[in-house]
Amino acid sequence: MRLIVARCSIDYTGRLTTHLPEAVRLLMIKADGGVAVWHDGGSSVKPQNWMTPPTVIEEGDGQIVVRKLAGVTEDRLEIGIVEVLSDVTHDMGEAAALEKDGVERDLQEALAAAPAWCGEGFRLVRREWPTDIGPVDLMCRDHQDGWTAVEIKRVATIDAVEQLTRYLERIRRDPAMEFCAGVLAAQVIKPQARVLAEARGIACVEVDLDVVRGDREPELTLFA
Amino acid sequence: MKLSTTSSELLGQLQTASRVASTRSAVQALSGVQFQATADLVELRATDMEVGLRIPLAAEVEREGTAVLPARLLLDVARQLPSGSLTLELRPAEQDVEIICGPAKFHLRTLRTEDFPPLPEPGGDQIVHLPARAFTETIAKVARSASRDETRPILTGILVSASGTELRMVATDSYRLSVKETRLEVPVEAGFEANVPARALQELERIVASGAEAETIEIGVRANQVVFRAGDVVLSSRLIDGQFPNYRQLLPETYEHELNVAGDELVGVVRRISLMAQKNAPLRLSFTEGELTISAQTPDVGEASEPLPVPFTGEPFEIGFNPDFLRDGLESVESGDVVLKLISPLRPGLIEAGDGSGFLYLIMPIRLNV
Repeated sequence: MRLIVARCSIDYTGRLTTHLPEAVRLLMIKADGGVAVWHDGGSSVKPQNWMTPPTVIEEGDGQIVVRKLAGVTEDRLEIGIVEVLSDVTHDMGEAAALEKDGVERDLQEALAAAPAWCGEGFRLVRREWPTDIGPVDLMCRDHQDGWTAVEIKRVATIDAVEQLTRYLERIRRDPAMEFCAGVLAAQVIKPQARVLAEARGIACVEVDLDVVRGDREPELTLFA
Repeated sequence: MKLSTTSSELLGQLQTASRVASTRSAVQALSGVQFQATADLVELRATDMEVGLRIPLAAEVEREGTAVLPARLLLDVARQLPSGSLTLELRPAEQDVEIICGPAKFHLRTLRTEDFPPLPEPGGDQIVHLPARAFTETIAKVARSASRDETRPILTGILVSASGTELRMVATDSYRLSVKETRLEVPVEAGFEANVPARALQELERIVASGAEAETIEIGVRANQVVFRAGDVVLSSRLIDGQFPNYRQLLPETYEHELNVAGDELVGVVRRISLMAQKNAPLRLSFTEGELTISAQTPDVGEASEPLPVPFTGEPFEIGFNPDFLRDGLESVESGDVVLKLISPLRPGLIEAGDGSGFLYLIMPIRLNV
């Protein structure tokens, strides 16, 4: 990663034409060819100008030209350098991928490990239980040994209810599972989804991932 | 339809009716207020399909008829009208209503009258008459404990029951529970129990408090509906289906500590110290021999504490509460002594009116992280 702080002016030609008059800017040139031009103001997350890789970067006397083919035309960033205030290059090494927590998969893992949060006495039979229209997240047995399909969402909307309804319709075609019940488990269940689910005999369970994982104690309540 | 009234009369009644009109229905007429003018009565009607309200408007009727006007807009117009008499006339050809008040003239497009549902007449399978004041005071005691979480509709209601000489209301949001038992001077004719949306009862309370001339409230309970009549005002509401929590099971049989505390003093301390319990921070109650110290702390904001003499004996202990919930309970007692009954830091505490007026407030603590 090369970071240049320079007094410069910049002309872009391509899909449109722009001109940045002379000022002090940070030029960020990534090893993959990506170029971003920053100034100390404006949008906090969006550069003033940028070019995504792959690019060709040509550096001459007082000028850096970044070119990129865009179909039959060419995007071109001409940076006229008046004064270089700083020019450093850092080896950034291998970057670890962004780790997201609290996504649907995390919830599924946590509930698979503790299915009782989905219903009294629930035991996990299988994760990703296959049906001919796609897998249902968890297949469990309840405290009376009845089959229960659990669909897990971070935010459950009416679409989630429709999805579970479709799975149940397929699952119940098997005579051994014709009484399979459905549970919609989510961190947030929209009121409309709850109404529709309950009208279709599908139970709704709101779960808190931190509580399911045991990272946080549940709030004390007078009753469940 | 053509009628004459005054701008202040229209505004007064509209302010009440428009609160009931729907704000988010797909049926446009439900966002309106219906004027129904007959020879001897003008009534404003509004409903969101859960709660319905019929409220009289003092007016002279020149021509009978019905019109539905957008409630919010009409209220805004009524607020700006000069004081004095006004006429309100339906112009079917123009599909609007002409309002003339002094030099001001408005033409408001009407909403579809045929989309506005009929509202229930008073009466029902069981009719009970209860003193209006006792009824609304009981509502005021418990309503704050009803849940606002629409995902648990049963808890958004107040369980109202009356039998013999007892009126009882119960509300809970699972974090606290309010029970108020009110003794009636005259036994009710027929007992009933119904889970009524708290919103409907709070509206009824407001209507009675704002001067509906009613000594008694007539309550008609039907299969899935309840109709209240207070004077000339009729408020109807659907009932909430489902099993209300068995509140008696929730009330502990015994407590470790029972303390009589001056209610006003305690409420004052709780109100003050709560100012420093922000961002879900608990209010901390530390009991030591003869003293209760209430404290709160919010990182980056500040902290506060204040001691209070209480007749506490035994091992010191600390318990945390949601400041708003604790304040609600103490304020509901209103005056005189309160009795605090506690078991342990993770068991519910009970706030009771010291005068034996039949008010109970059970509140779940919050875990304290040391």
